[in-house]
Amino acid sequence: MLELKNVYKTFNSGTSNEVPALCGVDLNIEEGSWVIVIGTNGSGKSTLLNAAAGSFPVDAGAIRLADHDVTRWPEHRRAEMIGRVFQNPFSGTAANMSIAENFALATRRGLRRGLGWALSAELKKNLRDRVKQLNLGLEDRLGNIIGSLSGGQRQALTLLMATWLKPKLLLLDEHTAALDPKSADQVIQLTDEIVSREKLTTLMVTHSMHQGANLGDRLIMMHRGRILHDFRGADKRRLRVNDLLARFEEVRRAEQLDETAADMLRLTYI
Amino acid sequence: MALLIGALTIGLILSLLALGVFITFRIFHFPDITADGSITFGAAICAVLLAKGVDPFLATAAAFAGGLLAGTVTGILNTYFKIQALLAGILVMTALYSVNLHVMGKSNVPLLSESTMGTYAERVGALVSGSAGDINLGGWLVSMRDISMLLMAFGMVALIGLGLYLFFRTHIGTAMRATGDNAQMIRALGANVEGMTVLGVAISNGLVALSGALLAQYQGFADVQMGIGMVVWGLASVIIGEALVGPGSLGLAFTGAVMGSVLFRLLVAIALRWGLDPNDLKLITAAFVFAALVLPRILARFEKKRGALKAVAGAQPESVLHA
Repeated sequence: MLELKNVYKTFNSGTSNEVPALCGVDLNIEEGSWVIVIGTNGSGKSTLLNAAAGSFPVDAGAIRLADHDVTRWPEHRRAEMIGRVFQNPFSGTAANMSIAENFALATRRGLRRGLGWALSAELKKNLRDRVKQLNLGLEDRLGNIIGSLSGGQRQALTLLMATWLKPKLLLLDEHTAALDPKSADQVIQLTDEIVSREKLTTLMVTHSMHQGANLGDRLIMMHRGRILHDFRGADKRRLRVNDLLARFEEVRRAEQLDETAADMLRLTYI
Repeated sequence: MALLIGALTIGLILSLLALGVFITFRIFHFPDITADGSITFGAAICAVLLAKGVDPFLATAAAFAGGLLAGTVTGILNTYFKIQALLAGILVMTALYSVNLHVMGKSNVPLLSESTMGTYAERVGALVSGSAGDINLGGWLVSMRDISMLLMAFGMVALIGLGLYLFFRTHIGTAMRATGDNAQMIRALGANVEGMTVLGVAISNGLVALSGALLAQYQGFADVQMGIGMVVWGLASVIIGEALVGPGSLGLAFTGAVMGSVLFRLLVAIALRWGLDPNDLKLITAAFVFAALVLPRILARFEKKRGALKAVAGAQPESVLHA
């Protein structure tokens, strides 16, 4: 479904702040697969998602999505196939517009937006039914400004908006990181429900080892813009939180070793 | 009475400018000052066409189209060429000054004997009332031309306001509002943010040019200087409107902008009547907008300080939360 071939991306190229974010990433995600992405800070997890979404052009490599070469497609064109939930609960909704209006926008993702009435009676009815299933008690407040809701409520609604039209690919960028533990649990539960029920191809970045061990059917660990580990099938099912922590520790040790080794070489030869 | 009717009419005509400014400044958060140029552009196109004997409705429509074009250029400079909104507006406004001179061929085009929309309105008014002379309005004698023009301006503003309200509730209109609210979100939902912005700035300037065309027909001339300070004027109207109707739905906000424009024009007319030097008008308008922008912040800070003092005194700890 999603295929990245030898993708490179460097930010602030040619300046002193040069950051190589993706260094030749190869990744192939099958249809219906739920892939968890973990990694250290600055390892390129979010960059990977943004590259797939088209937030910036990549420096080299190719991106294919649902049999289209989308490498040169702008973000809004890829949106036809992609549903997204951002880390910041404020990013996924238009704060000064009503809940219903936000959904009216989501129902036209990737479709032509003409002069049809945005808030049709049919949409309002569907919306009530589907929002009711969230059990947040929001179905009677659809006319309210969405900015008046809590982060958790907004994130749950954003998830529903992103999947209102079934996306070919769902991108979740640490979508529970900014929430309190209880809301985070609720949103994760909802994510699990929707992704499993709709069999959505999903790429989810998380900081939570717990989520990494318990969710999805494949896990990749990134470090310094490369994919370091790729667990799938039985390997993924066997993974526990401690295994993941051990992998991070390994990475940390390797880094330290590199530095001391470099220091030793410097002392010896300079 | 003539003064009151005149002020109301100009206020209504300029409320189209206020609506245009509202769209860019408030909906798109796009500080567009192209309006200073496009209001004159609209007046110039309309006046020149009228002088050539073109039908007034056609000439007014042409002015609207000219405004659309000017706004499109500003929008494209901002989105595709990545020039800051303010600078893009300044560039187009400056360029329009020369364009306007070329369109008019001189710095002032008088419309003395040409048939304008006012002529149309007057004719309709005479037909309705049965006489072309002055009519008696509660003891005041009012010229047919004035009252017809006022009614026509009111009708046009009501129609355009309703049209805008309906448009901004369609799929594309809703997406345009979301563009100003959260560009990242609407891009992720597949809308072309750049295209939406260009369209929004174009519509805004179309309205501004329309306002200019009507103004030229009302006052009987187009002048190359007439656009100076008009953005600030529109902004003042929008701010007064917001104070009048408070935060609320879109329809209320549009109504507020129109009301603000009329009220502002009335206040100005009264001030001028009381002997305000017309030369000071722009200075006072600018000072007013400055005060309207800064006062709420100063008041909030003052409230906070008072609330904090109270809290320290232990009188009312909740007041800190309210401030």
